[in-house]
Amino acid sequence: MTSLALSHTEPRRLGPLGTASALLLPIAVVNAIGFLWPVVNLLKMSFREAQASGALGAGYNLDTWTNALTDSFTLELITNSVGVSLLITVLTLIASYPIALYLHRSTGTWRTVLMVLVVAPLLTSAVVRTYGWIAILSDRGLVANALMALGMAEPPRLMFNLTGVVIGLTEILMPYMILALLSGFGRLDPRLEEAALTLGASPLKTFWRVVLPLTAPGMALGGLLCFVLAISSFVTPKLLGGGRVFLLATEIYDQAIVTLNWPLAAALSMIVLVVFGISLTLYARALRRIA
Amino acid sequence: MNAAYKFGTLCLLAAGLMAGPAAAETNLTVMAYSGLFQERYTKAVIEPFMKAHPDIKVTFFPLPSSAAMLGNLRAQKAAPQADVVIMDVSVSKAGTDEGLFTKIDETNIPNVKDLYPNARIPSVAGVGVTFDNLVLLYNAEQVKEAPKSWMEMAKAPYKGKVVIPGVPDIQGLGLVLILNKANGGTDYLANVDKGLAAVAEIAPNVQTWEPKPEVYAPIITGQAALGVGYNARAQVNSEQSGGKIKATIPQEGTIFQINTINLVAGAPAADAAKTFVNYALSPEAQKSFTETMFYAPTNSKAEITGAALDRTAVKNLDKVMSVDWIALAQVRDKIAEQWRRRVLPASR
Repeated sequence: MTSLALSHTEPRRLGPLGTASALLLPIAVVNAIGFLWPVVNLLKMSFREAQASGALGAGYNLDTWTNALTDSFTLELITNSVGVSLLITVLTLIASYPIALYLHRSTGTWRTVLMVLVVAPLLTSAVVRTYGWIAILSDRGLVANALMALGMAEPPRLMFNLTGVVIGLTEILMPYMILALLSGFGRLDPRLEEAALTLGASPLKTFWRVVLPLTAPGMALGGLLCFVLAISSFVTPKLLGGGRVFLLATEIYDQAIVTLNWPLAAALSMIVLVVFGISLTLYARALRRIA
Repeated sequence: MNAAYKFGTLCLLAAGLMAGPAAAETNLTVMAYSGLFQERYTKAVIEPFMKAHPDIKVTFFPLPSSAAMLGNLRAQKAAPQADVVIMDVSVSKAGTDEGLFTKIDETNIPNVKDLYPNARIPSVAGVGVTFDNLVLLYNAEQVKEAPKSWMEMAKAPYKGKVVIPGVPDIQGLGLVLILNKANGGTDYLANVDKGLAAVAEIAPNVQTWEPKPEVYAPIITGQAALGVGYNARAQVNSEQSGGKIKATIPQEGTIFQINTINLVAGAPAADAAKTFVNYALSPEAQKSFTETMFYAPTNSKAEITGAALDRTAVKNLDKVMSVDWIALAQVRDKIAEQWRRRVLPASR
């Protein structure tokens, strides 16, 4: 009896704060091991002494950082990366918004079919899809042939330049944007649109004054997601850029794999992280303004 | 039943324990390039080696690039997993400077005495195990006759039909050096202005400076007509594609790319590693690999016969310009910067 009574002690209760931290603990541990620790190592690496042969010296110094921050090429890399990623984000948003809106309004089996179609591209890797774009955009590809059939003497250069990178990444990022938009469309109640229309607003005005503001949180989330994915993507710019597009991600690859300057690759990676931080802050501000 | 089973297990265990030392096998890990290299090197060198040394079991540790190998070695510095590494000479220099390798010379590897002088690089711990050379690649259907000059790539019919792995890749860098010399440049360590100017003439015709996965595929498919690549891979690709891609050394000459073989410092199977390296440098192994993958041998005693003779740079040694890859590494960033400013704008 006594033993039973002992085993029946009151379970220790966690306060709301305690529960929250207990629930957050697993992800915190995973993040510490999988993200924070590598980032700390990366930061350390950026201060290692880089010898011309590619060897890592034993000592630590500021050379890599001073060189990187005074080199105009670094600035060019940052502006290129941010500019191209913004362009891709805007294009992805424009291309995805109508699809997401249509999906949001469709119902039943049709909606399921469409959802599968939207998510399906994610089943193949970005590498495979990029090779697909190479086949489509090449000088003898689908697009070039179609343009020539329409009477164009020489098809425009569609890849191995910035155009190719923008086309490829926009398509690759569309599923993410559509899913992010859909998740943010929760507040969009069809009755509100109906109300606006019955009160005499034109469809365009309804869209501009009712639909767009209500979907803004989804757009902000999708924008953040696509921007971050675009600026960190490296396979597609490498394959479709033809060595003519210089971005932070591709330069990090070259420095790490070809030139063996790991400290510089690490420093550039930290710069990307700073850009991430800035875009997160801007996102948080945008959200506050929307709300 | 149960007791008999236990007894049986014990007997097997005992037998296993006793048999253990008798069949003592040394496990040797050789880290080198994946893909074609792995396939051909295993066939030409590793399998015959294991036949000759039944007590050594060689495991091939394939990695896509020398940089990936260096990364692995750095991570394993405290407890190396690989014993022997085959990698590009400039990466090998970085590894040497970091103390990752044991110096190879005649005293620990007897076959070193027969190596060509340019296979022995004083500041690098390893020694040359293969020589490859830069070649002008062409699609046999679109280009009927072997081009005589690298500058063929600048001609009008090849607009948008040229693929070159650009600087900082060694292939693009090599092209700059060759054309620099051909146009009267003397010291490539001081400047490569003439080479860059010549490549800038080719630049408008270039389809991509990043042919992926390698330069050979677009030429085989006819997507490109001309390109710059390595001889060994070009020869194997030519063989496998039924001659759709061909390679030639133009009149301006070529450069060697050197792969070195290195002993990993503090490797678990250090003795077996020395045995293997000595074998890999032997005339027999050198001949076998040259005839299988068309790298030129680094051992002067290797007598190459048959088709391989015409398909390697062995007969064209006078056309090979010597390059100090170690010194060049010091100015590579500078060349890359000039490349971006002077060559790429011409190819937009």
